[in-house]
Amino acid sequence: MWWKILSVVLLVYVFLTGLLVPLKSGIETVEPAAAHTGREITIRFYGYNTFFEKSAESPIRVWLYYDSQYALSASSFTVVNDTILDARFNMPVNLPEGKQTVYLNAIIDHPIAGASLLPAAIELNQDSSGMVAGLPLDAAWTTTPVETLHLQKGFSFPYQNVIYESIRNTYFHVPMWFVLLFLFCASVWYSLLYLANPSDSSIIRKLKVAGRTLTYMVPAGQENDRRAAAYAETGLLFGILGLLTGMIWANYTWGKPWSNDIKQLMTAVALLIYLAYFILRSSFDEPEKSARLAAVYNIFAFASLIPLLYIVPRMFASLHPGATGNPAFGTQDLDNTMRAVFYPAIIGWTLLGFWIANLRIRYQRLFDRAMDLH
Amino acid sequence: MSKGYFSKWTNLPLPALFMNWKILFPLLRKEFVLEFRQRYAISGIVLYVFSMVFVVYIASIRVAPPVWNVLFWLIVLFASINAVVKSFVQESGARQLYYYQIADPVTLVLAKVIYNTILLLVLGTLAFAAYSLVAGNPVKDLPLFGLVLLLGSLGFSIAFTFIASIAAKANNSATLMAILSFPVILPILLTLVRLSAIALRLIQDTSYTRDIINLLAIDAILISLTFVLFPYIWRD
Repeated sequence: MWWKILSVVLLVYVFLTGLLVPLKSGIETVEPAAAHTGREITIRFYGYNTFFEKSAESPIRVWLYYDSQYALSASSFTVVNDTILDARFNMPVNLPEGKQTVYLNAIIDHPIAGASLLPAAIELNQDSSGMVAGLPLDAAWTTTPVETLHLQKGFSFPYQNVIYESIRNTYFHVPMWFVLLFLFCASVWYSLLYLANPSDSSIIRKLKVAGRTLTYMVPAGQENDRRAAAYAETGLLFGILGLLTGMIWANYTWGKPWSNDIKQLMTAVALLIYLAYFILRSSFDEPEKSARLAAVYNIFAFASLIPLLYIVPRMFASLHPGATGNPAFGTQDLDNTMRAVFYPAIIGWTLLGFWIANLRIRYQRLFDRAMDLH
Repeated sequence: MSKGYFSKWTNLPLPALFMNWKILFPLLRKEFVLEFRQRYAISGIVLYVFSMVFVVYIASIRVAPPVWNVLFWLIVLFASINAVVKSFVQESGARQLYYYQIADPVTLVLAKVIYNTILLLVLGTLAFAAYSLVAGNPVKDLPLFGLVLLLGSLGFSIAFTFIASIAAKANNSATLMAILSFPVILPILLTLVRLSAIALRLIQDTSYTRDIINLLAIDAILISLTFVLFPYIWRD
């Protein structure tokens, strides 16, 4: 009972924090996206969740950042409104390391909203007329180094370009796959138990009805078969939910719900395996034969899931995060605020999955008993 | 696991996983003899392969190498399903009862797997010969392609033999065979298409040994599962 309450509490927490906690400030885009050396230029910064107009004890600072040695500081800036800021830069004559083109990251540091960064925001080209070979670099590159950046106060999720608010889907899409794997493991476990002892020796169950405890016998083989099927069914449900939440996410980040990404395809195939399992279950008249062959196929199918989910995705390029088709998260994909929601989400969804499976088992048990009585 | 985990069906002392080599070769010989006696089965499959090859040729006169590669494996895949599906249904129940009395399940299924591997290798070679005759032969690395064909026959044989043994228990075994085997065979098929694309020089990849190891690893998983699980399927 306690775990059902825990599941509800965790999921309420996940839904509330996952959907309500704001994103950190970020830079959405800059205009213009290209500049030449040796000129003065005004660049307009468009912020996301920023509050440039909010006054603070120290001023806003704006940089164009190349690496830890070279950065350009804005000579002056004007705040248009909370999300738009115009900054003036005196572009230096020479580029670092004698390059023809460099990509500069934009950094805005706000004392309350914290530092936000847009990677490769500005393409800075060497102006051929102004180029002086062998001239030392302008002092503008190094006069105001990027340092003492502020952190945003309070609890907020990271701002990521392309992903934006859809980062919240991490708490819904990703745990589905954890639950799916746990449920399929449980299903295989009960299939193994069934094969180990298919004979109808009985296990005792207790049922509390109106303050009285009824004890009744359940055939062990039948019970294990029922559980294997129920866990596989619930796993399938979570697989479908995982695909759907993934498709919603893909629609906003990859542009369309289905891109024939290798992981999408392999998941679809994994779900086909379990659909085949249910067709196999229903194609026999004798319950014993059906249970035995379904258990055998369940174990076989689970073992072939391993190449499907862990070997094949490594052979192909994928749009999913995680380097070279690695099915796991990279170290940079989660930060601590996200972990505080993500781990409870996994536990909450897992408990919910087992709860649903439990209800399914109990329904099926009553159904089977009713069928026997008639 | 309860006592008598295996001995329940096999009536052999634990562990029943040891193989009876003495009975393996007679069983294997039986498969060949049976095939030659009922020549219509093998002839049907060979004709099936040729028909598919000609359908491909008629439908698309010029076949580009990437298409050649995929179509070839599709032909081999469907021919294999049709060749293996009869493994467990062609013999009468009474005769199977006899085999169950003289052999243990592991040896029985091993004989079937070995026989099906050889059968599929022959079919694959025939398909390759016929296919390259009508649609051209873009294979640049013939030894590698031969190896891929051998590995493919082995993988298809293991997976299909096991699935056929399950499907044979149901009435609609042909449909069930296709449904059950497709998801299981997919990793093997994808690896094979990739390896044979390397043999056709469609992909420049010198480190294909990793793919071969993957394929062998999948085969190893499937054959061990077949050995462990077949005793639960083989008789009612």
